Amino acid sequence: MKILNKYKKLALLSAVVLLGSCTGDEPLKESQLDLTVKPKTELDNWIDTNYLLPYNINVQYKWNPNAVDNNRFLYPPIQSKVQPVLEIVQKIWLKSYADVAGPNFVKNIAPREFVLVGGVNLNTTGTITLGLAEGGKRITFFETDNVDKRNRSNIKRFLRTIQHEYIHILNQTKPFDEKSMATITPTGYSSAWYNTTDAVALEEGFLTAYAKSNINEDFAETAATILVNSKAEYASILGTVVSPVALASIKSKEAIVVKYYKDAFNIDLYKLRDAAENNTNDVINN
Amino acid sequence: MKIKQIINYLLVALLAIQLVSCDNKEAIDSPFSGTPTERLNAKEKELNDLLMSSELGWKAVYFTDNTQLGGFTHLFKFKDGKVDMASDFNNDTSIQSSEYDIILGSTVSLVFTTKNRIHLLSDSNSFPIASLRGKGYLGDFQFLYYGQENGEIIFRTSRSFQEVRFVKAKATDWTDLAQSRLMVPNVAGATTRPLFRLLEINDGTKVSQFDFNFTSASRFATSNSIETGSSVTNNIGIAYTPTGIIVSPAVKVGSQSLSAFTYDAATGNFNATGTAGVSASIKYSTKPLVLTDDFKGVVNGPRLTYAYINGDLKGAQTNSLLFNNLVAAAKATLLPTQDFNRISLIFNDPVNGTFIQYSFTGGKGAINHYLIAKEDPVNKTIKLTDDGWSMATPPAFLADIDKQILDPAGLYLKKEKFTIRYSNTIYTFTSASSNFRMTTYAL
Repeated sequence: MKILNKYKKLALLSAVVLLGSCTGDEPLKESQLDLTVKPKTELDNWIDTNYLLPYNINVQYKWNPNAVDNNRFLYPPIQSKVQPVLEIVQKIWLKSYADVAGPNFVKNIAPREFVLVGGVNLNTTGTITLGLAEGGKRITFFETDNVDKRNRSNIKRFLRTIQHEYIHILNQTKPFDEKSMATITPTGYSSAWYNTTDAVALEEGFLTAYAKSNINEDFAETAATILVNSKAEYASILGTVVSPVALASIKSKEAIVVKYYKDAFNIDLYKLRDAAENNTNDVINN
Repeated sequence: MKIKQIINYLLVALLAIQLVSCDNKEAIDSPFSGTPTERLNAKEKELNDLLMSSELGWKAVYFTDNTQLGGFTHLFKFKDGKVDMASDFNNDTSIQSSEYDIILGSTVSLVFTTKNRIHLLSDSNSFPIASLRGKGYLGDFQFLYYGQENGEIIFRTSRSFQEVRFVKAKATDWTDLAQSRLMVPNVAGATTRPLFRLLEINDGTKVSQFDFNFTSASRFATSNSIETGSSVTNNIGIAYTPTGIIVSPAVKVGSQSLSAFTYDAATGNFNATGTAGVSASIKYSTKPLVLTDDFKGVVNGPRLTYAYINGDLKGAQTNSLLFNNLVAAAKATLLPTQDFNRISLIFNDPVNGTFIQYSFTGGKGAINHYLIAKEDPVNKTIKLTDDGWSMATPPAFLADIDKQILDPAGLYLKKEKFTIRYSNTIYTFTSASSNFRMTTYAL
């Protein structure tokens, strides 16, 4: 009993010493890292007002070596080109979805970051990557220096990136009918899609050569082709298809895309296309 | 009892350890001047202050990869996140403004964050030679800070760890950029000069010769020893200066390295001088450095055809300007719908013997000039002389071209190592007395 008491006292003493042993440390000071926010330019403020605050989309136009593939030879955009390019995206992509699906649609399902790259992303195989979507979070736009708002085909080519990549993001939220898609042109898919021209791909039942890479790209390319073209332009693309089998394949894919938009998001794809067309005309003519 | 004692001692020992456990660790002498964060912050500030310290900015001759590309001179002037920049990448040597940042990664580095002249070197879609497709000029615009030496800032590029040195700029450096652009045609080689070039090095006792082939687009020259059995090369990347060129890697002569060459307008040569009689020179020669035996067996052999095919060989680098000009001048006399189709040198035809056949597109009939061919084994040339035409009066519009092919000094024939569009062997015919050189397919 005596011994036990002694141990208890000792343990108590030791606990007090332990608790009090490190009280002499100085209080924490401010971070040594430079945390001052750099002064914002007019462009930065414009981006905050139009992208960051309403949509929670961050725009990186200054070079961040960690946001791009270091093995590629790319460069940041010309600063004066940044706002015009973002205005086009805002008008044709954001506004069209807002017009048709309501103002909160893109706010709820949106990429969290845009990365702008001035130059062309030319692959050593000779193909050109127009855009990248990483994990549904970040979309990288290439060739922003070359965007010309007076040139319809130039705008269509640029807008295809966001339309295409956004469809991937939608797919990540709600999957499309992959089973039906896979049965339409099952033998046409190939990792060497770039050996096929768009014209040849069209006769095989694909709207673009890139659509041949896999069913996900096929779905995105089908939807993007419908969205970047006007009703008449799309009809004239289908008008050039000679093979009735190919035409039927494309129409079946179109039906799957239309059904997906309707079932998953209650969006009429054709209305969305018309809104995009109106907004595209607005951009070109103003 | 014994165990109890042991426990007691242990308890005392434990207490003692606790008491000294929070002894001041700072007393241990650190080999560094501060914590890692403090040191990185200090480096960051050091670099920023350094960049802004030079009143007239900095100059860097950036060799992106001196095994296949030359150097590009850039000038920078830094001020609070903004940078004014100019380069000799092309004829636009004006000063442009953009932003820079100093960032922390594996170390402190300088990044040019918005577009300016230096980004022209890393445009995947603008590449000087086909093998660099998708890679531009292999340029980088993130430079890792490696310290200072003799007032120079030492950087290494982020991608390939090429050393880039920033040297304090002088006022004249900014105006010199436009002057250096005037050096470009001198390095490419004036068309009025002889067709052949060589690099000659003199180590004070012995002179060695290397052939010299410069590609303007990549600013790079290949240079191989002409001595039989020697595999010595002196491939060099070239950067332009107002007075000449800087080469990288430096040309090694004996134990000396020569990198600054001065242009001599009188001869068109570029000269570099070391000490003790050592020198190097890039010069012109009226004769091929190595005379080949490719002419043998042509004059008295089987039927052979060498054809310049206008559609395929018009842009061949081995056509000389004189040849291109003569063809263009002759074409100008034709109808707008007509052009040269082929200029063929046909040897030992069973019916027509040796002759030149000029054929045309747009419905114009072919014209033959019959010849007598002879070998000159001493000068290693083929000599062609007139033996009549397929028409009564020789056509005047072909006279100038024809005169070159019938050069009394003869033609050098060379089997080239490259092919153009087709797998057919390429042969060049070069006049032994003028700057006429025609590229042909062996058919």
